[in-house]
Amino acid sequence: MRKYILKRILRSIISVFIVVSIVIAMIFTLIPRTKVLDLDTSYRKMTGDNKTAYRFTTFEKLGYLDFVRISDICAESENPSACSVNKSAEQQAMLEKYENDGYTVEYFRNGTPYAYHDYTVFELALNFWKNLVKFDSVNFVEKTYGVTDLEKKYYIGKDENNFPAIMCSGCEYKYQVYFGHGFPFVHQNMVKLYFGISFPTKSGMHTLDVINEEQGSQKAILQTFPTGVELESPLNQMTAKYKPNVDHLDQTRFTDNYADCKSYYESPSMVETSYIFGIISLVIAYAIGLPAGMGMARNKDGIWDKLGVAIINFLIALPSLALIFFVRQIGSMVFQLPDKFPLLGFGNIKSYIAPILILSLLSLPGLMTWTRRYMIDQSNSDYVKFAKAKGLSQREIFTKHILKNAVIPIVNGIPASIILCISGALITESAFAIPGMGKMLPDAINKMNNNMVITLTFIFAALSIFSVLLGDLLMTLVDPRIQLAEKKRGSE
Amino acid sequence: MEEKNIILSVKNLEVKFKVRDRVLTAIRNVSLDFEEGKVVAIVGESGSGKSVFTKTFTGMLEVNGEVSNGEIWFEGRNLMDIKNDKGWEEIRGKKIATVFQDPMTSLNPVRTIGYQISEVIMKHQGKSKAEAKAEAIELMEKVGIKDAERRYDEYPFMYSGGMRQRIVIAIALACHPKILICDEPTTALDVTIQAQIIHLIKDLAEEYGFTTIYITHDLGVVANVADYVAVMYAGQIIEYGTVEDIFYNSKHPYTWGLLSSLPQLGLKGEELFAIRGTPPSLFEEVKGDAFAPRSNYSLKIDFEKEPPIFKVSDTHWAKTWLLDPRAPKVEPPAVITSLHERMLEMTKKGGVYGER
Amino acid sequence: MSEKVIKTTDDLDPSMFEFQRADDSASEHIAAPKYSYWGSVFRRFFSNKIAILMLIVAVTVVLFAFIQPMISGYDHMKTPNINNKSMHYIRPFKSFKYIFGTDDKGNSLFDALWSGARNSLFIAIAATFITESIGIIVGMFWGFSKKMDVVMIEIYNVLSNIPTMLIAMILVYALGAGFGQLIFALSVTSWISTAYFIRVQVMIIRDREYNLASQCLGTPTYKIILNNILPYLISIIITSVSRDVPAFISYEVALSFMGVGLGQQHASLGRMVQNYAPYMTSAPYLFWIPVITTAVISVSLYIVGQALADASDPRTHMI
Repeated sequence: MRKYILKRILRSIISVFIVVSIVIAMIFTLIPRTKVLDLDTSYRKMTGDNKTAYRFTTFEKLGYLDFVRISDICAESENPSACSVNKSAEQQAMLEKYENDGYTVEYFRNGTPYAYHDYTVFELALNFWKNLVKFDSVNFVEKTYGVTDLEKKYYIGKDENNFPAIMCSGCEYKYQVYFGHGFPFVHQNMVKLYFGISFPTKSGMHTLDVINEEQGSQKAILQTFPTGVELESPLNQMTAKYKPNVDHLDQTRFTDNYADCKSYYESPSMVETSYIFGIISLVIAYAIGLPAGMGMARNKDGIWDKLGVAIINFLIALPSLALIFFVRQIGSMVFQLPDKFPLLGFGNIKSYIAPILILSLLSLPGLMTWTRRYMIDQSNSDYVKFAKAKGLSQREIFTKHILKNAVIPIVNGIPASIILCISGALITESAFAIPGMGKMLPDAINKMNNNMVITLTFIFAALSIFSVLLGDLLMTLVDPRIQLAEKKRGSE
Repeated sequence: MEEKNIILSVKNLEVKFKVRDRVLTAIRNVSLDFEEGKVVAIVGESGSGKSVFTKTFTGMLEVNGEVSNGEIWFEGRNLMDIKNDKGWEEIRGKKIATVFQDPMTSLNPVRTIGYQISEVIMKHQGKSKAEAKAEAIELMEKVGIKDAERRYDEYPFMYSGGMRQRIVIAIALACHPKILICDEPTTALDVTIQAQIIHLIKDLAEEYGFTTIYITHDLGVVANVADYVAVMYAGQIIEYGTVEDIFYNSKHPYTWGLLSSLPQLGLKGEELFAIRGTPPSLFEEVKGDAFAPRSNYSLKIDFEKEPPIFKVSDTHWAKTWLLDPRAPKVEPPAVITSLHERMLEMTKKGGVYGER
Repeated sequence: MSEKVIKTTDDLDPSMFEFQRADDSASEHIAAPKYSYWGSVFRRFFSNKIAILMLIVAVTVVLFAFIQPMISGYDHMKTPNINNKSMHYIRPFKSFKYIFGTDDKGNSLFDALWSGARNSLFIAIAATFITESIGIIVGMFWGFSKKMDVVMIEIYNVLSNIPTMLIAMILVYALGAGFGQLIFALSVTSWISTAYFIRVQVMIIRDREYNLASQCLGTPTYKIILNNILPYLISIIITSVSRDVPAFISYEVALSFMGVGLGQQHASLGRMVQNYAPYMTSAPYLFWIPVITTAVISVSLYIVGQALADASDPRTHMI
């Protein structure tokens, strides 16, 4: 059993790995990289050597190539000063060395040479996975900043709210594991994922930070700083990072060099936004879909069943986009609901009604069809016939026998509804301009924000694949017959 | 015959099914009395209406079928007056229990064995959970489950086919029914298990004193356990009598055919007898004797007029014109005249009566 | 019962009691209602009034989409009336020539609509055709070959767990927007679901007794597939097709709306919805007519497909 679960987790990880690798390979090779700069306004304004240098630095930042300026080349030389003179023998030798290493040497208009190396597909993918996971360590400060006098230790301390937290001295982050506001309430800074840099939107930010960080305007909250100062500040002390040079302002608040904090913002992050919509709509879909599907199965061929089937068919056939606009229109015309999310924003409950209703309606038909189908299949089985012969009433047969059997495939179907919810979220968030991950993907695509596209692909793929795993594991809890090792997939 | 204690009495029963806009008459005007405490076997080939006939006793006909005529008297009331499932729940399981053919699918796969037995006890006897459990374990032991206490919480997939059928029987008997209908209870089981199950039902019938109705096409089973045999053909009972009557003194050509085709009676080198043709379509009205087109003994009148019931003895009657005084004298085929000797011979060889 | 013996006091002709042998054909007579597969399919399909209505709608719409653009010769890249302001935003049903009115560039919405519908339908039908053909062929062999099953199941586990929408978006992004690219993106992974579906059915039917018997008698595998299994799958395939076409229309519309479907040079329902979305309040007909048309096409095709699938399932022919 444990072996099976480990095997399944490993397979899921491999699945994510394969999918994301393919996506990386496609995006970096099939899309001409010059297109990335097409939408960059500052690049368009530049001319001459500046433009060339900017281009290469940008490409390097995005992970397309390794760009080396002459100063870096000469730093490796035995005679840096001779090397830095253009066309000197020393310089020529160094350039030749780089050329032999697979670099291409070109010259700026002013005659200064530079070298670059285009990564192959494999190098690209390798770099991505190599840089993906970053562990924080007690040696971080010493290694990065050469600070040796800082004590290196992990310890359990208290945060500003007097909650216990695992803290660290010598690491990049002061708070390693801590309780905090916002889902999932236990946070950590020990392991960070790094997906590359967002460009050209939110240029320079890590993609994960873009979607993980709170949005909107800064929110100041009253808090006590380590120095004892109590003031209203948007700084989130839990995110304190080591800062080699603290300024005077920092010193008034912090007692050590861990003073580089992120801020609190008014609105939830993109991830949280998508979660809010996704989870609420799924709960609603299940709360309506399961009883409705069961009711239809119990009164098969009755008027409600026929009506239900008609509605299901209509919802399945109706293109998602049409459904979204119909509901949005009705919502705004009849109930005065906003037709764009930002109109009323996060604070107003009215902003949520229409999108959540739509997302529920998108998962509902599938859920109802399957529930109904399973219930009917179960009703026709022999054990139901025998239960009837035992003298049990229809209601008893239904609640005591059919239900328990039908729950099994329903539980197994949860991942499918999560996957569907992601698809639905892509369109719905775009239509309502909801600042979530779903809207971010088409936005990133339209802005050629490659790293962001890869990040979101990774998140969506991982979410889908692991939800399937979760569904299978949940099923073992409700079905006594399953000895996991023998079982490959629930649907078999 | 007043001393006979009739527990269930069927009068002029007719059952119709709707199939593709056409009407099929599955049971054609059948009357039969069941004596209390006796074992009655209903035999006949597939589609003769055996199962449909007994399903009417518990109101378990498929949705496209209905009883179009007739009465079924049980405990002083006509079961045909019951109009809804609520009414039937008083009969099903409690008074008339059924054991189905396939024990593999008769039990709910995700409920424990114990749950499935004790729920009936709780429902029909109104006992508490603990009492029901105690009684269920006792029942399990009675039907031959060893270590019942432990196996109470196991799931059906942990049981073998034969053991599941024992559990099905235990469930059927949980409420001390008056009648137990066994719808081909051994067909899906291994030959070795079949005899065990048959004996189990026989023993339990003696202990609990219920009336058993067997539906089977296995004449071996019939010879082994039945007191009375009803032979069904094309929706009618065409011959009825004690086991002896049917096996050694049968009168209907169809019964002769059935007996002649017993594989046990086949002799090495001799071709095994088979009844030719197929049963008549019940979509059309059957004219005369339904078996006439397939019979080697059919008379002209068999194609014209339905035969009445001819009484052979107090316990034996048959529906065939051959019993009419005006009919020519016909001897049954040689194979079955020596049936008794052959069966004895087989038993001598070490087999059980009815072993295949 | 046995008490009331009927006395034979009737006056039957004694000659009636002579032997008469029935002819053998009579004993073999089977009189179940006559059955023909396609007959039953049509009978069932045409007994469904909504299906007939939807069939009429679907046929009309499809014919319009494929014939009207040929007559009008509409090209959405040409904008002859762009400078004639009086030709812009003509409301629908105001003029016979522009029955659905004109858009922001003075083009006839009616012409634009059918040319867009044609492209959307073409994409959906092409993607369905590719999906189903590959799916059915692969699924058949998949169901039969145990070796293939081991490999395919792994591929299926990876691909089926990722939303099609995500795959299509990434592919169109990587390959560039366009007709062929979109069809490719939609069908490149969706065939595996069809194949899996077919595989399961094939595995169920494969092990049925009659096929095992057929195999024992030496019938070649391809003949078993062709004669015993394919006919059984008709209903399943029709169900699958009837889901695919509306689903692909939906994908095309959604992708084009988000700007990751077809490029500027192509007209389609999705592109129209995207183009006209800004006029939702100023000229709502521009937006709603394409949306409603999309809905009508999808719903009618889906219902016709479902009714046909239902009618072609032999099990429904029983009652």
